[in-house]
Amino acid sequence: MVSLEQKPRKHHPLEVYIQRLEQGDALLKDTPDHVLEVVGILKSYGVVLDAYSRNLIYIAEHQFLNPFPFFKYFNGEVSLKRLLQHWGHDRINYEYAEYCMKSMFWHGGGGLDEYLDTPEFARAAEKAIQGKWKGNLFMLTLHKLFPDFLPEQVRVMAYYSGLGQFWRVMSDLFIALSDRYDNGEIQTIPQVVDHILQGLVAAANKPITYQVQLRGKTYDILPKSAGLTFLMDTAVPYVEAIFFRGAPFMGTISYNAQAYQIPDEQGAFTYGALFADPLPIGGSGIPPTLLMQDMRHYLPDYLHQFYQNTIRGEDDLRVQICQTFQKSMFCVTTAALKGLAPYPFTTDNPEEKAANRQFLKPWMDRFIESRLETANQ
Amino acid sequence: MLSALILIPVLGAILLNLLPKDWAASRFRQIALVLSSMILLWTIVLAVQFDPNNVQMQFSEFLPWLPTLGLDYALGLDGLSLPLLFLNSFLTGVAIFSSNRDIQRPRFYYGLIFLLNAGVAGAFLAQNLLLFFLFYEVEIVPLYFLIAIWGGGRRGYAAMKFLIYTAISGFLVLASFLGLVWFSEATTFDYEPLRQQALPVELQFILLGMLLVGLFIKIPIFPFHTWLPDAHVEASTPVSILLAGVLLKLGTYGLLRFGVGLYLDAWVTFAPWLAFLAAVSALYGALSAIAQKDMKKVVAYSSIAHMAYVLLAAAAATPLSLIAAMLQMISHGLISALLFLLVGVVYKKTGTRDVMVLRGLLNPERGLPIIGSLTILGVMASSGIPGMVGFVAEFMVFRGSLPIYPLPTLLCMVGTGLTAVYFLLMVNRVFFGRLTEQLSNLPRVQWGDRIPALVLTLFIIIFGLQPGWLVRWSETQTTALIVEPSLRDTLEVPASVSQLPLDP
Repeated sequence: MVSLEQKPRKHHPLEVYIQRLEQGDALLKDTPDHVLEVVGILKSYGVVLDAYSRNLIYIAEHQFLNPFPFFKYFNGEVSLKRLLQHWGHDRINYEYAEYCMKSMFWHGGGGLDEYLDTPEFARAAEKAIQGKWKGNLFMLTLHKLFPDFLPEQVRVMAYYSGLGQFWRVMSDLFIALSDRYDNGEIQTIPQVVDHILQGLVAAANKPITYQVQLRGKTYDILPKSAGLTFLMDTAVPYVEAIFFRGAPFMGTISYNAQAYQIPDEQGAFTYGALFADPLPIGGSGIPPTLLMQDMRHYLPDYLHQFYQNTIRGEDDLRVQICQTFQKSMFCVTTAALKGLAPYPFTTDNPEEKAANRQFLKPWMDRFIESRLETANQ
Repeated sequence: MLSALILIPVLGAILLNLLPKDWAASRFRQIALVLSSMILLWTIVLAVQFDPNNVQMQFSEFLPWLPTLGLDYALGLDGLSLPLLFLNSFLTGVAIFSSNRDIQRPRFYYGLIFLLNAGVAGAFLAQNLLLFFLFYEVEIVPLYFLIAIWGGGRRGYAAMKFLIYTAISGFLVLASFLGLVWFSEATTFDYEPLRQQALPVELQFILLGMLLVGLFIKIPIFPFHTWLPDAHVEASTPVSILLAGVLLKLGTYGLLRFGVGLYLDAWVTFAPWLAFLAAVSALYGALSAIAQKDMKKVVAYSSIAHMAYVLLAAAAATPLSLIAAMLQMISHGLISALLFLLVGVVYKKTGTRDVMVLRGLLNPERGLPIIGSLTILGVMASSGIPGMVGFVAEFMVFRGSLPIYPLPTLLCMVGTGLTAVYFLLMVNRVFFGRLTEQLSNLPRVQWGDRIPALVLTLFIIIFGLQPGWLVRWSETQTTALIVEPSLRDTLEVPASVSQLPLDP
């Protein structure tokens, strides 16, 4: 009798994580320490995001096309005391928010990016430019000479606003998570993921709009009629740009484009938060450091205590924050994957399961190079 | 007054061993720190009262001990011994401070360190050749035990090797002294009367030859150096600090005090050969250091190279080069103590000294950033970067020796260039790059680990910026060394080193 051996099934290198998702778990292992770390870090991240979001929206609305925005980080409260605090670096590092905005702007993707290249946007931008520089012959002449410059600045302003609105939602979501944890409602990593997923789903169709007031007149730059929504037009491009692609940050590793150390394809970039090496942070000029510096001021006591009990205690706080932050971002990514997947991951239907696997494969391929396994150690 | 520097540590060692055995090790450490502070304080008191312009021995003490043998308890302090005495007192404090708080058998350990301190102080103060020999031998015993009990894996081998080499060294020194007294028909081993000896030069050759081989083992000079890297690798950090910082100086001190001081005629004949030997030793030490994989061995071979500069300066025997020799001793004492201390901290925190394993330790959050920065500063000082004491000492050595022995001096300069090579190789491998995964969970560095290194660094920089504070103690005495004893009273004391003639 002829026996046909079944062809060995090819397993994905991260098969164990795929199975974990199919069992209803998250990319991050469910342990009590992980829950404490993730919730604690998302609490401080929520506080920092709140500040970032307010500032981004302030810049979009009140520093519109301002050629010399000296006080863009002051949120309108300009005083000598604030200035001294700013120079003394007793402040939030709003620069980090701008780096993220620029990274999103550069990588693009989603409806917001597409809309910014439409004739509707060009008309709206032109109107706002004319409104802003009404009577200013110098600027209007420059605009005539270089017609692409100011519209590009308006696009940047639209991204300021878009990221500000996205983070507004995320900040509230993370603070609410922390409150639920404090009340004892959140005890496992799947519950954390579920909380984030519910928050994303609830806000999925929230419209993303942007108006600016100039000389008492309102200019609609991203009108509601453009149909831009929270999930597909800001959240997904954000995850792609910040979690996966990121920017080759100065100082972390020496990136040498001439030595082909940077991929030709922008889509193949792996410099995002899920890939970042937490160790070199602490030097100057490395953007992720700014976020860690900001978060260290708002760590909940239980998380701070957790860090102090480690071997280096307070000495390597920013490295530990970065490592925990990466863990939390794998939870957010899990929630995003769950939200985007064609069927619930826990389905028993073989066809649905196959479709899910089809959906997961490209994502999992990208995780191979990420810090996923380190975060789970 | 001088006896206090011998009595305090000896009585301290006895006291420590009389205290209850079950006390915590940290308590013994505190007591040892108090005692070493007293010794350092007393050294400072002596330095304050010391007259740098006086050519004669100061604070002399004399007590006939065994007159029939010619052995007297004769102590004295001059510009040669004072800086080394200070180095001894200071580095003993540093060594005790950097000792493990929970060390096993603390009474014996600290007792031995004080005996070592007393032995070295006695040798620097002794004005009787036999008394010098006794102290020279006495310090071998505590050091042997310090390596053999608290050392690394091959401590028995290293301690025995040290014992054999230094015992032979002591034997040769003694033979030279006995010969000197025998042939000059002197009735005493006292130093000053023996300086007047007028032995035939051929006899002086033999006596000086024996003395030199004895001292070369101690310094150590190639090819008598092989005990040193083994001893350093197996010794604990505080013992390495004392070994490199103080013990080796007994050899170079002997060169100046007895080689130049007693056998000046023979010395002048030997000097060109000594200068070449110094160059060989400097290059050998430097080239060997390049090949090392163990950080401690790099520093140990660097010691061999840097101690050779003292021999070069002593061979040139100009007023400037002799002060330079003194300065190089102090400079090497401070810098090598700093480097051994820092390598000790790296070893304590990472568990290895292998330059092929260590990487990225300068990482600001997870590495040893302050220790790394101080190491970079220490190797800069050792390579003779201006602004630190290493530069002043080496520059003076080369400036003083170049007119007399141009070729050996140039070869030694190449050795200095190689210092930068081997230390940069080490620093680059160990401190730069990304911290490896296995090193990313190092325990935190306490301020207790950093303070002694910071103090040493401070001295290295202060004396680098203001070398006059070091030179002033010795310049009169080093100049007097190469002047006929009978003429010394009429010696015109130079006001500063800048007025010294550069030619012999």
